Amino acid sequence: MADESRFRARSRDNGARLADRSRESGLSRRGFLVSMCAAGAVFGFPRAGLAAMDPAMPGGTPIEAAGARYEPAIWYWIDTEGRINVNIIRAEMGQHVGTAIARILADELGANWDDVHIEHVDTAAKWGLMVTGGSWSVWQSWPVYRQAGAAGRVALAQKAAELWGLDPAAVSVANGVVSGGGRSAGFGELVAQGITRSFTEDELRALPLKPHAELTLVGKDVTALDIADKTTGQAIFGIDAKVEGMVHAAPLLPPTRYGSEIVRIDDSSAKAIKGYQQTLKLDDPSGTAPGWAMVIADSHWAAQKAAGLVRVEWKPSDAARVSEADIQQRARALIADDAKGAVLDTGDTDVVPVFARAAVTMEAEYTTATVLHFQLEPVNALAFRNAEGVWEIHTGNQWQSLALPWLQKALGVDENGVVMRSYLLGGGFGRRLNGDYAVPVALASKALGGKPVKMVATRPDDLRFDSPRSPSVQRVRMAFDQDRNVIAMDTAVAAGWPTKVMVPAFMPKGVNGEPYDPFASDGVDHWYSVGAQRARAISNDLAESTFRPGWLRSVSPGWINWAIESFMHEAAVKVGKDPVRFRLDHLKAEGRNAGTAPDSVGGAARQAQVLARVAALSGYGKAKLPADTAIGVATSYGQARSMPTWVGGAVQLHVDRQTGFVDVQKIWLVVDCGTVVDPDSARAQCEGAALWGLSMALCEGTEFENGQVRDRNLDSYTPLRMIDTPEVVVEFVDSTEVPVGLGEPGTTVVAPAIGNAIFEAVGVRLRRLPIRPEAVLAALKVK
Amino acid sequence: MNFKFWLSIVVAAAVVALAGFGVYAYHPSLPAMSAAERPSFSPEVIEKGRILAAAGYCATCHTAVGGKPYAGNYPMETGFGTIYASNITPDPETGLGSWSPAAFRRAMHDGVDREGAHLLPAFPFDHFTKMSDEDVDAIYAFLMAKVAPVRETTKDNALPFPLNQRVLQAGWKLLFVDFGRYRPDPGKSEQWNRGAYLVEGVTHCGACHTPRNLLGAEKKGEAFAGAAIDRWIAPALTADNPSVVPWSAAEFTRYLGTGAGVYHGIAAGPMGPVVHAGLRELPKSDLEAIGAYLGAGIGAPATDPAANPAVLASLKAGRPDPTYRKDLGERLYATACAACHYNASRIVEGRPELAINSSTRLADPTNLIHVILDGVDAKNGMGGVVMPAFRHALSDAEIAAVAAYLREKRANLAPWPDLAAQVARIRAEGAGH
Amino acid sequence: MIDFTVNGRNVSVDVEADTPLLWVIRDTIDLTGTKYGCGIGMCGACTVHVGGRATRSCITPVGDVAGTEITTIEGLDPAGNHPVQQAWRHLRVPQCGYCQSGQIMQAAAFLKDIPSPTDDDIDAVMTGNLCRCMTYLRIRAAVREAAAALRGETTNG
Ligand code: FES
Ligand code: FES
Repeated sequence: MADESRFRARSRDNGARLADRSRESGLSRRGFLVSMCAAGAVFGFPRAGLAAMDPAMPGGTPIEAAGARYEPAIWYWIDTEGRINVNIIRAEMGQHVGTAIARILADELGANWDDVHIEHVDTAAKWGLMVTGGSWSVWQSWPVYRQAGAAGRVALAQKAAELWGLDPAAVSVANGVVSGGGRSAGFGELVAQGITRSFTEDELRALPLKPHAELTLVGKDVTALDIADKTTGQAIFGIDAKVEGMVHAAPLLPPTRYGSEIVRIDDSSAKAIKGYQQTLKLDDPSGTAPGWAMVIADSHWAAQKAAGLVRVEWKPSDAARVSEADIQQRARALIADDAKGAVLDTGDTDVVPVFARAAVTMEAEYTTATVLHFQLEPVNALAFRNAEGVWEIHTGNQWQSLALPWLQKALGVDENGVVMRSYLLGGGFGRRLNGDYAVPVALASKALGGKPVKMVATRPDDLRFDSPRSPSVQRVRMAFDQDRNVIAMDTAVAAGWPTKVMVPAFMPKGVNGEPYDPFASDGVDHWYSVGAQRARAISNDLAESTFRPGWLRSVSPGWINWAIESFMHEAAVKVGKDPVRFRLDHLKAEGRNAGTAPDSVGGAARQAQVLARVAALSGYGKAKLPADTAIGVATSYGQARSMPTWVGGAVQLHVDRQTGFVDVQKIWLVVDCGTVVDPDSARAQCEGAALWGLSMALCEGTEFENGQVRDRNLDSYTPLRMIDTPEVVVEFVDSTEVPVGLGEPGTTVVAPAIGNAIFEAVGVRLRRLPIRPEAVLAALKVK
Repeated sequence: MNFKFWLSIVVAAAVVALAGFGVYAYHPSLPAMSAAERPSFSPEVIEKGRILAAAGYCATCHTAVGGKPYAGNYPMETGFGTIYASNITPDPETGLGSWSPAAFRRAMHDGVDREGAHLLPAFPFDHFTKMSDEDVDAIYAFLMAKVAPVRETTKDNALPFPLNQRVLQAGWKLLFVDFGRYRPDPGKSEQWNRGAYLVEGVTHCGACHTPRNLLGAEKKGEAFAGAAIDRWIAPALTADNPSVVPWSAAEFTRYLGTGAGVYHGIAAGPMGPVVHAGLRELPKSDLEAIGAYLGAGIGAPATDPAANPAVLASLKAGRPDPTYRKDLGERLYATACAACHYNASRIVEGRPELAINSSTRLADPTNLIHVILDGVDAKNGMGGVVMPAFRHALSDAEIAAVAAYLREKRANLAPWPDLAAQVARIRAEGAGH
Repeated sequence: MIDFTVNGRNVSVDVEADTPLLWVIRDTIDLTGTKYGCGIGMCGACTVHVGGRATRSCITPVGDVAGTEITTIEGLDPAGNHPVQQAWRHLRVPQCGYCQSGQIMQAAAFLKDIPSPTDDDIDAVMTGNLCRCMTYLRIRAAVREAAAALRGETTNG
């Protein structure tokens, strides 16, 4: 549940911003959503069992209804055996999302959990916007699936009442049994009698929902439905998709993400490979995968071998000369120009005069390197034209409604012409929000007259074609008065913007009228009261023309919080205060930091609470630690102001002065996510998030060289492994507030806590991620 | 092949000529045996011959890749040129079908074929001459009775003049071969003598493990001192063996019977078929005898290898180190190798402990590089298990880094020079186990 | 034709000998529980047992395994109830699940060799198996739990 709700934070955020935008344009928020759906969804040709996925079934094949089935709402049906099949429009990528959603419905319905099945459905217009991790839709799931459950409960009770001659009020539904007047029946028996009751939208909305206290499934500890098959090899991922007669494709990737053109292809040597068929030069009207060729063969291995022998000459674009340093220099130049970027609404943004009259100012620059998704399942897809003439795309994807229009354009068909079929995802982390990888496969199939083509990217190809987390530069400034009180803060953040590149319509506007990518600026409009505050979000055009920036676990709070929380520590040191105390002094639930019910109720006070708690829990400032060992802290509000998950983080580490090696010994997280819906999943998400934070702080990171990422496999790209894994302590704040996200917030505090701990341990300040031993040594040397 | 070398051949031939060479060199052709004359053999003798033929790796050298068993034409690259093994199936025209037992015995004991021509010493008659008539006859029986005849003409050897003059072989023999059956050493045990008989004779271990002189003969004074063979290194079987855990009789016996020892890694490269197509066929008592003989040559102390300080140190050095990322080789090893090669408090069979492995300790990294590049297939090593091949996974520099890590950090030995270049060279030789 | 057994079944495949075992298992034999993650032996997603030993199939040429007995995740236990699998479910290790076939196969082989592993032992052996969802804390705990079960000690599972 946690992973989906992590997107919820920003979805509400976007929702709110989009609501503002749509008011301007005269569209209601609902109207906006509907128009998005129309643009993105299709009227598929749903045929049960073709590909939709039940992760609890070996092989993933959804169950088929026994006898007539009753559909109280589009979200599920009940068959004559009493089995309940819940339609899930989200992709499963480790967050156990189907289990969470089905439980919401089953609870309201009064079902026996053992009767519940889930089906991750294929795309169809009726589902509306399909984006996973949840964005709008999971946020919507709670009311929608509860209403749907209630509809079934009412219909079953009515049927029983009718059969038994009772008042429906005298019939109750619980644990899969309908009872009243001394009689009882299972759901299946009643469905077999034929239930015809249907509900209009308005009727659905008017249905009575159970009071919270009567919920029996939600909040209870369960084993997710998808887990068992993931221990037996029966779970079916996109990479496992297959259809009769398919051929295999290996891509030949251009030297740059955009703008390279194929001059000539010579496949004479490849012809010696048994099973080699041909090499296709792709023509991509959607512009998603320009300059690609695809090697077609009888098997994956033959395609790979042949691909190694086909020689392609490209005319590369200018991006082939771009390096990471160029991108970062561009960021610095943009930051230096005060006129650049969108100014976020942070109240009094007029910092210039305040800095002018300040007694003391400080400034620091923080940077982060390019980070790769490295979801363990490389991107893949299977595409063909089916007997009805509809293109089928079999793959795991997080944002079908985004990819479908690209596919339509590439294939030259309208919204009725393409359907995406759902598979499990071997990791998402945002990589598969961008469904670009399906496009070249569809194009190859198109070139072969609709023949099924399957592409499994090799790991190096997957990484070259990744939408990485953009490198970033952040300049943070602070102004103090004579008494060393903070009177202004000025932050500028430059990076490549994923939303600008892939869904520009999703960008709200800043107070200066400039649009901005909320996913690339969340974190900069923090909850500290700092007087005048300017937060400038700047799109790095060189980054965006060199590669396709992506959304990567926690997106901008992953880099912005590194800067803000390192800087808060530096500022505390500057004014001679304890860094925790200094933060607490500026976390005041006042003004714009007071918070708003229900999502951010309590505001900065809740952030202060988790920070104080993690300091106490970790023994910060109290624990007697060996030489060169220290605890550092940091705090964040997770993803977005409008739906904050309050996190306090602490890291204990030791710095080896000889080698510069940083040994992280323990991580503590204190999390206030409102109500903890599923304690075990919540913990799993926080563990994973904390370790991702650690990995991005110390272990992984790459650079652009000649327009491409330098590291393309595990020999040189080095994410965290078991040996690097410290003890992780996660504590949740007891709360009955609105449940919010958990998949990402834990990520955001770890890097700054590490930077701060290094400072506490050996007195040097690192301002660049990832932190390598060489950097620590160099800093120790100049100290 | 330089001028000095050629000169030495000519001089050697001249010396021999002065010593009554013509007489020595001449051997008569023996009569061809007709099908009717072919003797019959008892099943016991045939079975004995099968085992001995295996122990002598007859099939290994007399079968070409993809060819019929014993039909010859296996190319042997010698320093002098390529030699093709002969067809030893019972085909009368192209194989041994028309050879009498006496002709076969003469070939094995004297290195002379049926027609009286000298055989090249790639055929180890210098060892087989030690074998008893009875054992040679058993091999003959097996070949004649059990091997399917194959009509396949042996290719001409690609030897330059004058080496293609077989008469020169007589001089070579005179200079370098002690003809005659094995003579037991009365001062040693029966088991030791049995081992010596097998090792010096049929299993011809020295053929690979003893260095050869410029003329390709085993150096008498350096028996089992280790040598390069087929682009691999055959380690010394003497006290100079680089293993920190000295090979004991028991360890030899286990290794030669299974292809793997707990303290010395596995039989790979040219040693693979020696065990898997050969020695493991021998009865246990013979393997024990070989172990006793070789073990005595090494002179291992009778201590428990599990308590050997080098083993304990190696296990300690293998403990996971959280700073593993600082060294490329160590990092790659931790992620690609340790899952199989890590041992906890004692070495488990099947988890070769690389710091004490010969391939890490030899002065030459060849064997280690071969195994990293191409792994070990199921027919070699322990048999039935495999080590994957990193040829297409890691670069030359990366393989060199792993090798350097093992050599320097784990085995604590002097660095191997030019490792990456050596990897590149061995990689370029192509795959092949 | 290259012959071997997979999960007790005899198979005979007509593929080039240099084809990685992984793709033969996945595409020719059609057992897709074994996954591809890196193709260079450094993530462990493709781990199967060859002759009982954990082996990274992505860099093992199929020609090398002729005559061997191979076990994949589908054949580890007929009912999917190997103690390692049970521990994995009990502690709810999988997130996306993609690495877990390899993790389980690695752990099952490891515990045969080292039945009472310390945390150091677990780190040393399991570090080769990447989990991008970073379920490492649970894997560690599950290996310990499975080890206890395999040794016949009672667990809370
Ligand atoms: S796919 Fe084989 S180790 Fe990564
Ligand atoms: S559970 Fe997702 S990679 Fe391990």
